[in-house]
Amino acid sequence: MPAERKPGLDNPYFDWSPIATRPKLTWPGNARVALFLVLSVEHWQWKLPPEGYKSPELPGGVSGAGRPFPDVITYSMREYGHRVGIFRLMKLLDKYGFKATVAIDSSIAGNYPYLINECKKRGYEFIAHGVAVNQMVSAKMSESEEREHLKTSIDTVAKATGSKPLGWLGAEYGESERTNAILAEMGIKYNLDWPNDDQPYAMKAPKGEMYSLPLSMDLDDTFNHWYKRVHYDIYTQMIKDSFDVLYREGEKSGRVLGINLHPWLSGQPFRYKLLDEALGYIAGREGVWSATGSEIMEWHKKQTKR
Amino acid sequence: MLEPDRFDYSPIFDRPAIKWPNNARVALWVSPNMEHYEYLPPKADWRNQWPRTPHPDVSGYAHKDYGNRVAFWRMLEVMDAHKIRCTVSLNEAVLEHFPDITKAMVKRDYDYMSHGIYNTRFLNKLTLDEERAFYKDCIDTLKKHTGKQLKGMLTPAISPTEATPDLMAEAGLIYHADWFHDDQPFPLKVKSGRLISMPYAIDINDGTYNRFGCTPEYWYQSLKNQFDIVYEEGAESGRTICLSLHPYIIAAPSRIKYLDAILDYILSHAGVWNTTGDEIAQYYMDNYHDMMVKHLKSKKSPVAERAA
Repeated sequence: MPAERKPGLDNPYFDWSPIATRPKLTWPGNARVALFLVLSVEHWQWKLPPEGYKSPELPGGVSGAGRPFPDVITYSMREYGHRVGIFRLMKLLDKYGFKATVAIDSSIAGNYPYLINECKKRGYEFIAHGVAVNQMVSAKMSESEEREHLKTSIDTVAKATGSKPLGWLGAEYGESERTNAILAEMGIKYNLDWPNDDQPYAMKAPKGEMYSLPLSMDLDDTFNHWYKRVHYDIYTQMIKDSFDVLYREGEKSGRVLGINLHPWLSGQPFRYKLLDEALGYIAGREGVWSATGSEIMEWHKKQTKR
Repeated sequence: MLEPDRFDYSPIFDRPAIKWPNNARVALWVSPNMEHYEYLPPKADWRNQWPRTPHPDVSGYAHKDYGNRVAFWRMLEVMDAHKIRCTVSLNEAVLEHFPDITKAMVKRDYDYMSHGIYNTRFLNKLTLDEERAFYKDCIDTLKKHTGKQLKGMLTPAISPTEATPDLMAEAGLIYHADWFHDDQPFPLKVKSGRLISMPYAIDINDGTYNRFGCTPEYWYQSLKNQFDIVYEEGAESGRTICLSLHPYIIAAPSRIKYLDAILDYILSHAGVWNTTGDEIAQYYMDNYHDMMVKHLKSKKSPVAERAA
């Protein structure tokens, strides 16, 4: 429906709420910044089913969209993340004692038990992340197709990890008008598709409950390393600068620094040192709470219901 | 099982260690692309070879020719100074069009990874028989002009078919550089014979840097960072690093000093095996292919864990 010209937003999922008008948010141990690191573990499906929708700007490969089948470049670049890149990122997180929230699609969750186990050993949280990165949820799906897609994603992660995922990140941040409501109905409690805040906020759902957690679009590695090809030393500086600002603001009310990292990009050797520098900068500061999505959501819920 | 099932899952930090000759940590191969883009290429189904203008595009065509007329010769000086034996990613028609280049490469005993015949002719629409004939052409042409037996291929403009690995193995090739999934060679599953993937470089390719307006110095810094990490990791298990180059880019007057500098930097380290793609692939085939396949079938591998 086109917007009506009246105060507030023109979507049914949350009230508009400027950050400057909210009550103080306090993190555990009076931390100023909750560090929320997401590792997106994504399969690039060899053959896209006819009904599948792929973002025309999907990162990976050479010379953008329009390569002929089979696109071994994109396929194998993604695979690099599962075989090599993610282990470098784990090593980095181990070094600084940081936790991760792993957004894993059902193709990888159902076929890579070794990866799941390595993440489990480190206490990472798993969240559902669609079926494959080149199958995006969009308004092109019928409701039954969408329900099937979400259910496959959630059930496969539950089965592969032994616990039901509480969080959701759509492949390529894709949603239809229905997605948020269906996710809540299926037991998902937080959603990372809406990059519009530096704090969590409660969303509305007809059935169930839903929170939105901040994941910075500005710092997503695909936007920097792929779309904009930002020099990685500048990306490192952007992470440090973002941290400094949120840290300053976090003295008055807690903030979240949410960074979405893709192992096939950020786990490349030539990018490793600079990410190490950025995370090292954050690790060296007092008042940082490294937390998973569920921990942030639960803490926020307690705070706001008080 | 996920398609295309061309290789088993194997995390690089949890597989049998690779030891290169003399306990080298990193195997270095340097792969300049010697290409020819036709003045008036046949129409392709997916790629306009000269998208800027109705054909011809004299500026694009001439810029590529600059690589062969000028930049290649400048590049040779740097390669010679560092005793680099290149693994030329070769559009094989270059051998026929430019005998001077052929002679210069043969004199230096370079190795060759085929990159098709022209960079304006692709594989993706070929029938099985046409693709078979293509490998025969590649093998025969290379043999005729250089005396070398073709061992590896980066498909032209990277345009393989689903059958490509099977047909390469059938033709007797041992390595396929279209797969960017690893920092070590790795066995590919093929219908007959044996084939491995070779980690060529796409993200740190000079073409990628040129396309996205990165400074020459940034390319150097990236390669240096890349090398530092694989060198560190190579202490446990050997790694490869590929300098994938295009003379018209990296041997332009604005960039050539960075090629010199990165070779200086890499070769100043002990434990670098200065070699070719052919030699790395042959060494892996002789020493690690069967061992790795056996490992993948054993209980220790993550593949077995999946089957359990």
